[in-house]
Amino acid sequence: MVFNSLTFVVFFACVLVLHNLPLGWTTKKVNLLLASYLFYAAWNPPFVILLWVSTVIDWYAAQGLVKAKRESARHAWMLLSVVANLGMLGYFKYGTFLLDNFSALMHALGIAYQPAHSDIVLPVGISFYTFATMAYTLDVYLRRAEPARNLLDYALFVTFFPHLVAGPIMRPTELVPQFEQPRKASADQLRFGLALMTLGLFNKIVLADSFLASIAEGVYDSDKVPGALDAWAATLAFSGQIFCDFAGYSTTAIGAALCLGFAMPDNFRFPYAAVGFSDFWRRWHITLSAWLRDYLYIPLGGNKHGPARTYTALMGTMLLGGLWHGASWTFVVWGGLHGVYLGAERFLRSRFANYKPGPLMFVALGLLTYALVNVTWVFFRAKTFGKAWSVLGGMFGANAAAKPILSSFSLIAVAAIIGGLVLTHWFMRARTLESVVARAHPIAVGAVWGLLAFAIAIAQGSGAAFIYFQF
Amino acid sequence: MRRGEVSVEDQARYLGRGDYARVTAADRPGVAQPVPLREVPAQPWARVALGALLLFAVLIAGWEYYWRAFGVTPGSRNSDGLWAIQRRRIDNGEGDATVAIGSSRMYFDLQLDIWEQLDGKRPIQLALEGTTPLPFLEDLAADPKFTGRLLVGVAPQLFFSGFAFRGAALTYARKESPAQRAGQWLSMHLIEPFFAFYDHDFALDTVIQRQAWPERAGLHERRPVRKLAEHGPDRNTHLWGKVETDPYREVARSVWRNHLAPSADVPPPEKMQKTLEEQLDRAAKAVITLRERGVKLLFVRPPSTGPYLEWENRVFPRAKTWDILLAKSGAQGIHFEDYPELQGFELPEWSHIKHADAEKFTAALHAIIARDFPQFLAVGAAGGAVPDGHVAH
Repeated sequence: MVFNSLTFVVFFACVLVLHNLPLGWTTKKVNLLLASYLFYAAWNPPFVILLWVSTVIDWYAAQGLVKAKRESARHAWMLLSVVANLGMLGYFKYGTFLLDNFSALMHALGIAYQPAHSDIVLPVGISFYTFATMAYTLDVYLRRAEPARNLLDYALFVTFFPHLVAGPIMRPTELVPQFEQPRKASADQLRFGLALMTLGLFNKIVLADSFLASIAEGVYDSDKVPGALDAWAATLAFSGQIFCDFAGYSTTAIGAALCLGFAMPDNFRFPYAAVGFSDFWRRWHITLSAWLRDYLYIPLGGNKHGPARTYTALMGTMLLGGLWHGASWTFVVWGGLHGVYLGAERFLRSRFANYKPGPLMFVALGLLTYALVNVTWVFFRAKTFGKAWSVLGGMFGANAAAKPILSSFSLIAVAAIIGGLVLTHWFMRARTLESVVARAHPIAVGAVWGLLAFAIAIAQGSGAAFIYFQF
Repeated sequence: MRRGEVSVEDQARYLGRGDYARVTAADRPGVAQPVPLREVPAQPWARVALGALLLFAVLIAGWEYYWRAFGVTPGSRNSDGLWAIQRRRIDNGEGDATVAIGSSRMYFDLQLDIWEQLDGKRPIQLALEGTTPLPFLEDLAADPKFTGRLLVGVAPQLFFSGFAFRGAALTYARKESPAQRAGQWLSMHLIEPFFAFYDHDFALDTVIQRQAWPERAGLHERRPVRKLAEHGPDRNTHLWGKVETDPYREVARSVWRNHLAPSADVPPPEKMQKTLEEQLDRAAKAVITLRERGVKLLFVRPPSTGPYLEWENRVFPRAKTWDILLAKSGAQGIHFEDYPELQGFELPEWSHIKHADAEKFTAALHAIIARDFPQFLAVGAAGGAVPDGHVAH
């Protein structure tokens, strides 16, 4: 079920009540586990089996890793986990993509090949829990972590509903220790957790769904050719939509976990105030970028084997990171562009190591970063390369004869929301939400909280799925 | 501190950012990530939460009061979930029912209570506003569980253009998750009976968007259709009483004037003709499939008046649309222009019959069917063509 639904409100209320009953800790954990399975089954019950398969494979792989006497046996257990997890991911997420590309390749070679029609349904959040379970086995393999002490704690780590379908992507060392001793939120943790959930849902329901989504759709899902104003407005709207959608999910998830007494890591730190792309990736989807860094970039050589290997590892990581988001070449290009940006930045930093920008240049570099990030969003949002080129053409003045698409209201909404969003990110770039809330007057905090809740209620959200569920 | 946790001091030292510091996984490459730390900012949270709750309650009460003063009463929300409930009835043992599909005219004009009084059975209302019934016709044609009677409403500008404002309802019904189904039930029992503002027309973005924003040069902005109807839990729907009188009637008419005005968005004639032919071919194919299964089908063209009818007759003339539809599909139809009993009703905004007259329209429609198409109403008779009895008017 989605956070932005009445079903979740009732579900979460029941979970909170259960978690605060005078029951034993093991019973409470079983309750949380069953609730998490229910949370996932509410989309499509049979897919719970995939969760079980993923859970059981990595549980036994980690046990096998610990008991293995020889290094080759450890390798084998690790490979079993990687192959099983990536195999499931590959089948469900990339099966059709691979078949289509194979078919296209055969056609290019003059061989008529028509694959059988497949109706593979992508299980919600499979990319997220696959990475979480892989992190468990890989951490044990890399001797960074010990395996969980019992299957219940481990299964709950994989399945814990706040992070299950769209992250933050948890590491076992972040969550499993929290299940070892009884946890219950204090009254203030519960209230602050609810406030965080309100903030997250405001981002999703009001900003992303009610205002920004339709503006991006107006251009990206239309067959009209956009001019500069429409192309930029739609792309900026999408930049806001995807941030508010995904960061909104993460904030709601963090708040939900806090209401139950658990801590989850930050996943976003005001990324549209990033100066440079390494800074951007330290602020955007932090748990994914850190996962890719730790389990892909570093094993590929990282920055320890000379520039050529570093740039290759960087590009490889970003290309695969792009593919992680979706089974389409547009996502690969999105990742590739970020790889190019990161490589260029690395090169420039090495060439101008002593350069320190002044305040104006600092802001200018930040805005340049944001503009270039927007160029990548074109490939992320466009369903085809044709559409991407059309929008990019508009953004860079190639569609001068294009007719207007978006209404004046849409343009005003983009200016107001995206302007406000970027200014907020710059104000918050060296702060945390908590530090700002702590300094605010209590009446202001209560008023903002009440207003956000009111806006959520009157926005009448349609329960639209979060964008990242499809990844 | 538990195993794996990092103190605030350690985090601050690590980053050197004073009290703004919070270490994330981005700051710890290649190591096991410790248990995160989530501090609660110092605030009198009990009072803050109470204040927020009170403010929320006051604002919601004020918003509800505002819309009730506007003339709105709580009712069923016109959602895809509500439609899916009705669609499921065919799968759950009511496949022999009378089903209505079409656009808003069939949706608002056909009164289920009246039909039930006359026919003995309540129809399943599957018409959707702003939407061609063609995908739904094809859906029913492909569903062997449906063996009943089918009334297909024809609003020319939708049926023959293929426009489907609510086309997603069909996909929603096919893929509705258990969570969505539960959410629909909760909404119908906990929200809709109590809150008048819970209507698409009063959603925050809709309200803001319809304010008097400046027009963008070179763009014909289609104004969104305002609330026109009130809905029951089984989608028995009628035109909202507020539409019957000015100033709201004029608001509704001005929206239609906006939609009917010449626009650069209108496809070129050759494209429109191609689309028209595609719609006709698809409709004929679906009708043939239904007929082969014994389903009895009638097309119905409900009335429209004034500038709306003039526009329809000009852009979608009957001879090139309705008449060809009947000829190609071999089905029978009831066009309001052929029956005096289907004329003379009051259509406040030219497109939909007011509530009291919609009841008369439903009774008249049923009487015409009983008189001229008795096989459609006959129990157990072979269906499909309704071949005899059509009386020319």
